[in-house]
Order: sequence, then structure tokens, then C-alpha cells
Amino acid sequence: MSKTAIIVLALLLAGGAQAAPRGETEGLREVKAFTLENAAQLVAGSKRLRDAVADYAAIIEANSDDYEAAWSADGAKLAEAVTRIRTTWLAASDSYENIEGIVAGVPSLVKYDLILDAGNPAGAEADVAPYDLGLPDGTVLQRPGSLFHTITEPLYWGGDTGNARAEVDLDGDGTIEPGEVLFETNLALGAAEGLVKWSGKLAADIEAWQPSRDDAFTAVVTMTPTVGDYFGEWKESQFLGGDEAAFVARSRLVDVIDIMSGCERMYRAAVAPVVKSDDPALDASISSGFEELLALVRETRAREESGARFSPEEADALGADAQDIAERIVAQVLQAAARSGVDIRG
Amino acid sequence: MKIGRMRVKTQLHYHARFLALALLMTLIVLSVLALRNPAPAPAGVALSAVPYYKLPFGPDANGTDRPFFPSKMQSATGQFSDPARLPSSSECASCHQREFTEWAASLHAIADRDLIYEAVVEANEDTVSDPEKARFCEGCHAPNEMMTGRVNRFVSVPPSDALSEGVACITCHTATKVEPEKGNGALTLAYHRAETAQAGPQGAAILADPRAHVAAYAASDTDALMKSAEACAACHVETYDPTNSKASAPQKVQTTFLEWRDSWYAKNGVTCQDCHMASDPAAQLRAIRDGDTSDPDRYSHRFIGANYAMTETELGDALGVLRGGLLPGMTAEANRATLEVQKRQTQGFLREAARLELRGLRRTGEGLQLDIAVQNIGAGHNLPTGVNDQKYIWLEVTVSDAANHTLFRSGGAAERLGVEDPEAVSWIEHFLDREGKRITDHLTFQTAAVIWQRKPIPPRGEDVISYDVPLPEGADGSLKLEARLLYRVALPDLIYTSLRRNLSVPPFTLAELSRDLPEDIR
Repeated sequence: MSKTAIIVLALLLAGGAQAAPRGETEGLREVKAFTLENAAQLVAGSKRLRDAVADYAAIIEANSDDYEAAWSADGAKLAEAVTRIRTTWLAASDSYENIEGIVAGVPSLVKYDLILDAGNPAGAEADVAPYDLGLPDGTVLQRPGSLFHTITEPLYWGGDTGNARAEVDLDGDGTIEPGEVLFETNLALGAAEGLVKWSGKLAADIEAWQPSRDDAFTAVVTMTPTVGDYFGEWKESQFLGGDEAAFVARSRLVDVIDIMSGCERMYRAAVAPVVKSDDPALDASISSGFEELLALVRETRAREESGARFSPEEADALGADAQDIAERIVAQVLQAAARSGVDIRG
Repeated sequence: MKIGRMRVKTQLHYHARFLALALLMTLIVLSVLALRNPAPAPAGVALSAVPYYKLPFGPDANGTDRPFFPSKMQSATGQFSDPARLPSSSECASCHQREFTEWAASLHAIADRDLIYEAVVEANEDTVSDPEKARFCEGCHAPNEMMTGRVNRFVSVPPSDALSEGVACITCHTATKVEPEKGNGALTLAYHRAETAQAGPQGAAILADPRAHVAAYAASDTDALMKSAEACAACHVETYDPTNSKASAPQKVQTTFLEWRDSWYAKNGVTCQDCHMASDPAAQLRAIRDGDTSDPDRYSHRFIGANYAMTETELGDALGVLRGGLLPGMTAEANRATLEVQKRQTQGFLREAARLELRGLRRTGEGLQLDIAVQNIGAGHNLPTGVNDQKYIWLEVTVSDAANHTLFRSGGAAERLGVEDPEAVSWIEHFLDREGKRITDHLTFQTAAVIWQRKPIPPRGEDVISYDVPLPEGADGSLKLEARLLYRVALPDLIYTSLRRNLSVPPFTLAELSRDLPEDIR
């Protein structure tokens, strides 16, 4: 055999070794579809949030921007508006959380993670959110930090005392407690508009993105462990009471089922082909882990729908079981990723 | 006598055969056990064997890896442990049931499960680019997770029961070294001993061959350490510095061990364990106050402390949720029972810490001047102690007339609602960010300075506070002074920020004073 033939054969073999296992390409398409679907929900959720904030601002404006007077005249409406803002904020934030692992791990998308969720304001040593925020009155805030966590969360929940305009008894229990405030409308509107703008740009850039194997692994290992957070919210909404308990529009278990189904779909479609080609037993173990996890959540939801009441201990145990299974899955996926030389980012 | 001796001889002769047989059988069983137990697999997991474990802060000055940094925790072998080989505390319960049940109600057990703690760690992580910085917190709160390489952005180590516990049995019972002045988790753990013991006999079989168990959990270095107050120093001395916060110069945040070290208690041989692990902690404090510094009759594993909220069974369902659910090996019923005891002991303990005394009473041009002494009569450390940006005490003082009209109030209603009254006399630390703005939600990684608003009261010390009480014209009849020393375990801001809920955590009354003021003072 000539030297050239040997080199050609070696190249072919090397190429063959690096070729995507069967099914991986289709799987990656599903990853993209999942990301697009959640980005679309984020855009829609941001628009709903903007509308809720606009309704709130309209009440204040109708009272000549006098927050105290607005509370005296339209207290019930304002309390309802604040509740709607918080509920829609949570939904929009959750839509982002579903894809945060992907967005934060993909170089072409990572700036959106800083702008929407994780970036710091100007002056921080690192990770400054790279955008300026224009407000309805013409003010432009230079590098103000992430829209969800630096600006809107503390603003809408009253933690941003500099932008609290009146302390009021939002829940009508006779006392004014932390967080019971009417907040400044100019910033509230500007930030909600900012969320619409930047979530729209994110969705557009996701359209252009071509997912890789690294992206698929990263997505599975970052999203699957969130089951504990959602289970935790379900548990807390039942047993700790408080504002959110009353206003959660649907059981968080429904969200858990949706998200974990997405994780399972992504695993089976894009990751399993890689794992299976290297270690079929590991793939079988991970797959059965997902089945076990979804069975647990579906069964719990079915019991809830049929009117079952859970004791705190039971709810805790269910949440801990779910988290346990999820963490076992992730540990195994990471073991497989390490063997395949996958770069887990985020 | 002669008959007696003969009986003994006869009985010995009679039983000797059985004793010899029993001895022979024991030897055979031990030999079989020894033969059937092959040498345990080598303990420990190399750092490189934990995929995606990040070391974002680089090696130390000698080029050695720092897998736990910024915590000062160390592994005795320099390696991680295999979670599958670390025993859960519930396994210890098979022989040490009482100790396990006591521990299960403690704050140590839930150090990594407490919902507010978890939320605060997450909030801190969100403020930095390397979530691995949370190792600073988890070294003391989650040593099992730390020692297995689970405190990482991507967790490639599977969970286990042992890893769901906070400061667990194996934490203290394998500790080999503490650097008490350093704190920040400066504790060396020999978890490889626990791993090795897992390969030996378990449960009742340990009685037949206790060697591995003893070697793991009763080694002389560990035994000596556990009996000394220094064992507690690793996590009860805490300093913020540029590695774990925004502080440019070291900020002493928690000095509990150092306060004790310089106190009457240390000089008289009263250790942390003597009070916090006494089987009846309140009685122990009373005895010490009366001059009896002898050891408690038994050391309990409740580690009774000052967090009255996390033992408040009147919170009902919420308490279980706040504590992070049932620990492995606990039933709901056993949990409720042990928490009731924990609550009773915690509240009794707190009531022995302080006393209020009316030290002076004078007429002034506008009214009265009152001197109230706040005395630390029971704590072997400062009052308050620990990290005091959340836990704080304040004095509520009212003077009322015969018709029960309040003529003077300090530290009253506003404080009770959780809003700090700047006029109130409070012993609290303020955390400040780099711009000097106060941080009320325990963002360690963003804290640049820690400032005491009023110096805490040292062991056996006191702080005398003077109040000018203006009296209105025409106020007549007898006057009544009421004072309370109140303690709050967390600012409402922290609870709200962590849980997005206004959970009411009422203050605890540490000490009270009520006096009818003499008529001739007016």
C-alpha cells in the first residue's frame, strides 16, 4: 500500500470516528426547536408583563402621578395590578430559566444571559450587562445591570427602596410589611419594554444558531437539576403561604412535567446517540432515570388533581426523591460527556 | 468463708468449659470475619477523577491545588471521598439511636438543608462569576458535599443520603486538625477513615470486630480534638477578606471561639461542649453561675444554640419545610418529638443568658434619667455572638403612668415589626457594600465592611445604658418602668428576599425587668 493510500485511509478512519452517531443531527434540531419554543414563550411573557406594567402605570398617571392619592382612590386595582405584574414576571423568568443553560453556554448567545438574567451593573469587576436602558421620560441608564435580577425583581417586589414611591398594605392584612410598596412607573415601564426588546433579539439570534454536541450536553446537565427548584416552589406554595401561594395560576407540578419532558426529549434525541455509541449500559441507566423521574412527577400530579392532600413531610420526600433522581442522571451524563471530550459550558 | 470459696471454685470449674467454648467460638467467628473481609479497596478519589470539577482560584503559593478554597477546609489525604462509601448519620443510629435523634433536631444536622440558608447561598452565587466561590459557605455548612467534590457548577458526583446532611456524625468524628485562629472552615477531615470502615463489619457485627470502627471514629487525634473547644473554632471564627468578599482588609465577622478563649469560662475549664452539649443546658448554665464548673452528667448531641426559629414547633408545617424536610432515617413522629425537646431546651438556654438590672435612677430638669444594666450572665462568649448582621438584640424600655399611659418608649413597636429603630439601643452588625450602602440580606460576597453599631457584651460583662426620660407637665401618680431585652434571629428583609414571603418570626424575650418607680423621685 502506498504512503498516500495509507494517509487517505487514516483520514477516512479518523473522519469516521468523529462522525456524528446516527440520530444526533436530528436530535440537535430538536434542541433548537425546544430553545426556540421557550424563547417564543419568553417574548410572549415579556409582552404580557409590559401590558401589566402599563395598566399599573395608567392608574398612577390617572391620579396625577401621586402614588399616595392613587392608593387612596384605586387601592384594590393597584394591589391587583402589582400581583399581576409579579405573576407575569415569574412566568417570563421561568421561560428564560428553561433555556438559560443553553443561552449562557453558547458563545453567540451569551450576551443575552448577561442582559436578561446574570449581568452586573457598571462598576462591577466582571460580567457587566452590555446594554443601556432607555426610559419613557427620555432618561438613558448606562449599563444598569440585568433586566430580570438587577432591575425588575427588586423593583416589582419592593426591594429597590430607592424606587419605592409609597408604602401600602398591598395584601390588606392590616400591616405594611417588607415588599408592600408602589414602585416608580418610569423605570417599571422602561425595564418591561427592555425585556420585550432583548428577548425578541434573543429569539432572532436563536433562529440563526446551529446547535452543537456541546450545546446539547450543556442543556441537559443544566436544565435537569432544576426539578428541585420547581418542586420546591410547589411545596412552598402549599405550606409556607404568602403572596405567591395565592396567585400561582397553575400547579408548579405541571411546569415540572413540561420541563422534565423537555429534558428527556433532548437527552433521547441529541445526547443518547453519543452515550449509547460509547456505553449502551450507561445510556440505559440514564434513560430509565428519566422514566423514573417523570413517573414520579406525573403520579404526584395525578394525585394532586384527584384532590389528594400532601403532608409537608410527604411533599419534602417527593421533592427530595425527584432531585435525587435528577442529580443521578446529571452525574451520569457528565461522566459520559467527559469520556466523549465534551466541553460543558455555562 | 471456706464454704464460699469452695462454691466459687466449683462454679468456676463448672462454667470454665462454657467460657472456654464461648471464647473459642468468638475467635472462630472473628477469624472467619477477618478472612471473609478482604482488605478494603483504597480509600479516596483523585481530584482528576471528578469530571468538570473546577479550580477557578488557582493553586496556593507552593503550587498545590486548593480544591476547597476559599474555605480553609482540608482533606487529610488531599483527595476527595467516594459518596457511596460515606455512611449517613442514619446508619450510626443502628447503635447510637439516642445521639442520632438528638442530632437530628440540631442546627448542625440541617446546616445545608435550611431553606433560607440555601436561598442565601444561591443569592450570593448570583453576584459572582464563579459559583465555586460558594465553597466558602459550604465548607462549614456541607462538609460531606465538599469532601466528595459536589460543590461545583456542574455536579458529576451522584447524591447519597450522607451528602444530604449538614454537619454530620462523620464530620466531627473524623476531624484531625483545627486551626482555631484562622477559622473559615480550617478543619482537616479524615474521611478516608470512614470509607475504610465501611468495608468492615457493619451494624451489630461491629461488636464482634470493632477494630475498623474504632480506628475510623475513635482515633486518638480525633478524640483529643473533639474534647477541646478548638474543635468548634474552625467554623465559629469567620473573617471576610478579599478571597471571599469585597473587603480590602480583613473584617472579623464571627469571633465566638476567640471571645470564649479570652473569657472566665476558658480559664476555668468550661468548654463549648460543656454548655452546648450538656444534657440539660439551662441547668448547666445555672450550675456554672453558682460556681459548679464540673462536667455535665452526659454530653448530648443537640448542640443547643440560639436559633429559636428553626426549632419553633408552633410554626407547624412550615417548620418542616424551612428545615428542609425529614433527614434520612427520621420519621415524622420522631422528628416532631425530638424538635419539641430541642425547642424547650433552646428557649430555656436562651433565658439563662442575660439579666436586666435597674442600676440608677435620678431626677433631671426635664424628667428622669434611668440607667439599665444589660448583663451577660450565662453565655461563655459575647452577647450577641456569631454573625450578627441578622441575629441581633435590642432593648425595649417603656415608662408609663398610673393610668397606663406610655410616657416614654424606646425600641418598641417599630422594632417588633422588624423595622430597625435608629433610636433604639441595638447590638447589631451592619454589612456595608463598597459604596457604604447597607446590605440586609447577607450577601457575603458583596460585603466590604462589617461595623458593630454597639459593641457586644463580653462573657460575665455588662453594658449600662442611660435613658433620659422626659416627663410631661402634670404627670402624676406612680410610674412604672418596664424593660425587655429582645432577640431576633433574622431580619424580615432576609426572609422576604429569600422566600418572597413575609413569614413572621417574632422576637424572643431574653430578659425582662419591671419596677414601680418610687414616688419621691418625681
